[in-house]
Amino acid sequence: MEVELCPILRSFGSEQNVLSRPDGSASFVQGDTSVLAGVYGPAEVKVSKEIYDRATLEVVIQPKVGLPSVRERAREQCIRETCEAALLSTLHPRSSLTLILQVVHDDGSLLACYLNAACMALIDAGLPMSSLFCGITCAINTEGQIITDPSVQQEKESRALLTFAIDSVERKVMMSSTKGSFSVKELQQCIAVSQKASEEIFQFYRDSVKRRYSKIM
Amino acid sequence: MAAGFKTAEPLEYHRSFLKENCRPDGRELGEFRATTLNIGSINTADGSALVKIGNTTVICGIKAELAAPTVDAPESGYIVPNVDLPPLCSSRFRPGPPGEKAQAASQFVADVIESSDVIQKKDLCIEKGKLCWVLYCDIMCLDYDGNLLDACIIALLAALKNAQLPEVTINKETDLAEVDFQKKNRLKINRHPTASSFSVFDDSVIIVDPTAEEEGLSTALMTVVTDEEDRLCMLHKPGGSSLSGEKLQDCINRAVMRNREVSKLIDKVMESVKAKK
Amino acid sequence: MPTDTKRLRGPEESQSPMLFLPPDAQILKASSRDGSRGHADVRPIFARCGLVSQAKGSAYLEAGNTKIICSVYGPRETERKDETDMKSGRLLCDFRLAPFSCLKRGAWIQGNEERDLSVALIESLQPGVCLHRYPRSQIEINVVVLENDGSILAHAVTCASIALADAGIEMYDVVLGCTLRQDGDTCLVDPTFAEESGNWLGGYGENQGRVTVALLPNFNQVSGLHADGEMREDTLTEAVRTCMDGCHKLYPVVQHALLRAVKRKAPPSVK
Repeated sequence: MEVELCPILRSFGSEQNVLSRPDGSASFVQGDTSVLAGVYGPAEVKVSKEIYDRATLEVVIQPKVGLPSVRERAREQCIRETCEAALLSTLHPRSSLTLILQVVHDDGSLLACYLNAACMALIDAGLPMSSLFCGITCAINTEGQIITDPSVQQEKESRALLTFAIDSVERKVMMSSTKGSFSVKELQQCIAVSQKASEEIFQFYRDSVKRRYSKIM
Repeated sequence: MAAGFKTAEPLEYHRSFLKENCRPDGRELGEFRATTLNIGSINTADGSALVKIGNTTVICGIKAELAAPTVDAPESGYIVPNVDLPPLCSSRFRPGPPGEKAQAASQFVADVIESSDVIQKKDLCIEKGKLCWVLYCDIMCLDYDGNLLDACIIALLAALKNAQLPEVTINKETDLAEVDFQKKNRLKINRHPTASSFSVFDDSVIIVDPTAEEEGLSTALMTVVTDEEDRLCMLHKPGGSSLSGEKLQDCINRAVMRNREVSKLIDKVMESVKAKK
Repeated sequence: MPTDTKRLRGPEESQSPMLFLPPDAQILKASSRDGSRGHADVRPIFARCGLVSQAKGSAYLEAGNTKIICSVYGPRETERKDETDMKSGRLLCDFRLAPFSCLKRGAWIQGNEERDLSVALIESLQPGVCLHRYPRSQIEINVVVLENDGSILAHAVTCASIALADAGIEMYDVVLGCTLRQDGDTCLVDPTFAEESGNWLGGYGENQGRVTVALLPNFNQVSGLHADGEMREDTLTEAVRTCMDGCHKLYPVVQHALLRAVKRKAPPSVK
């Protein structure tokens, strides 16, 4: 099978500084999937959660309806550890950072959208980071084709679903979460496709920051 | 002297070993701790297994109950895995409802069951739309010394292989279920997934089967789940420092080898259990 | 009922296959002890220390099919500052029955039974521990019952006291537990699950009951006594005496287990 070299992402967009209360906020829209993120901090931390040499990061996912369940908790862990790797949290020891992700609408590739919204919100909050990151979801359908940024319908029809977080410096895999079974070759193809697709998102990050600060300067 | 160095500068202490391509407990970087397995020790469970990887001890007990299938999937049974980290296993866990780590582990086990098709949920159906089995796979950690996920998957697989369910038929006349405890059936195990966990030190050195201390000091953790056909069922890397495709490939190769080792172990223990009977 | 969002949930309702048995077959038959052991005999126990590597002290105890594991952490600073006792330490207990430990699957959420057992356990152990040696601190005892085949409280007491000793907590004496089931004129020492629950459901009759005694063997003092059911005064006195005898029978095994653990930790120096 040919490696698809031009991954197709649904049209995506983002708006920063959408909320007034948090220190940083962003909304991220991929196709019909939409997530709102807010960051509070660096702020005072509870004594029980204090870490002496770096900031404590908490990630909370709020689903569209109902209470967060075990699945959300597992995703919170993935997102938290990805953000922790990117953030230079040693610059804010003994303080707390809180990232809240509110699902506005889920139409597939939700975990990737969480990551993108989180990164935009962290940029907006002006927190020091060693690299940016973005999330890409790949679905492998029954014919073995790789579909990037699938919708809910495409996710349902797929045989395997892989989500990666890619860092902006070396384009390596920061986080990986998969569903369904797949071969090693398919995995490497999906990583290659995601790395390719990440370029587009990182370019978007850069443009939006440029656009925003050109007004101020 | 060494003890003082270990307490004051744990990371430096580990680094000094890793520089020499070995670890404080004498293992090589790619070496798993001794793994032992005990099957069927809990008589009150329908299937059970106790796994020890080094100090880490995990027990899995399976209880089968009967329920009505959902309307969406009238031909499927249920598999409900839950991982518990009681305060017994380590002082880092508090009494009360499960914390994030336990919940993430529960979700991981559920995802592995889902992705690998260990058991076809259709096989758990007794009568379409009326009655099916619910397999409650309760996993408890008794001693937490790192690499929980590997131990959970081995315990789960061994317990499923050990499980025996009584025969259930639906009486055509009364429309009620009848259970025959004399006649017991084993579950049909579709595939044999095994997990292998890796931990990354200083964004570069990769070691397998980390202890609790190594997990705490490392910059990233990763778990690869493969089955006997060398297909990947799960590549679970919850964040942390980034890895290139080549590094991932090395880990996958090691995971494939580990699958063979674990399969051999389970088969050997299953044989010895049968021989005793 | 509030839904448990911290665990994976199965279907709303599910029944144990036991329920589908014909009613006469459902009652557990208390198999007679003929041949296997006498009415006054305790089951042989197996005890080991130091299984949980992360804990200060731990113990595993097996009596017949009853399997209990216990770990001890501490002494450490009390978590709740408002309850700090300046003069003496506190024992805390987390008692759990594993969901697969009973014939019927248990819930994950701690029920009343577990809470009662943990209170009973602390009360039985407290007289044996030199708590005044640990002011302003707490000692945590975590018990998990892996398989319940009767007399869990008694064996948990024994197991916990071995774990406390293994943790090096100062104690006046180890605490040993023994349960007795009175059924009319017969009394069964160290009952199995079937013996404990046999025709229990028919309500308490004359001289029906269960007694659990915790004993400090070197002082021959009772540190805990739990009795339920209805018993005549003389039967109860006799029952307590029988339990005390039962406890004494466990003592050599417990001693041996502790000795073994001490020898391993501090091997006798060879000169």
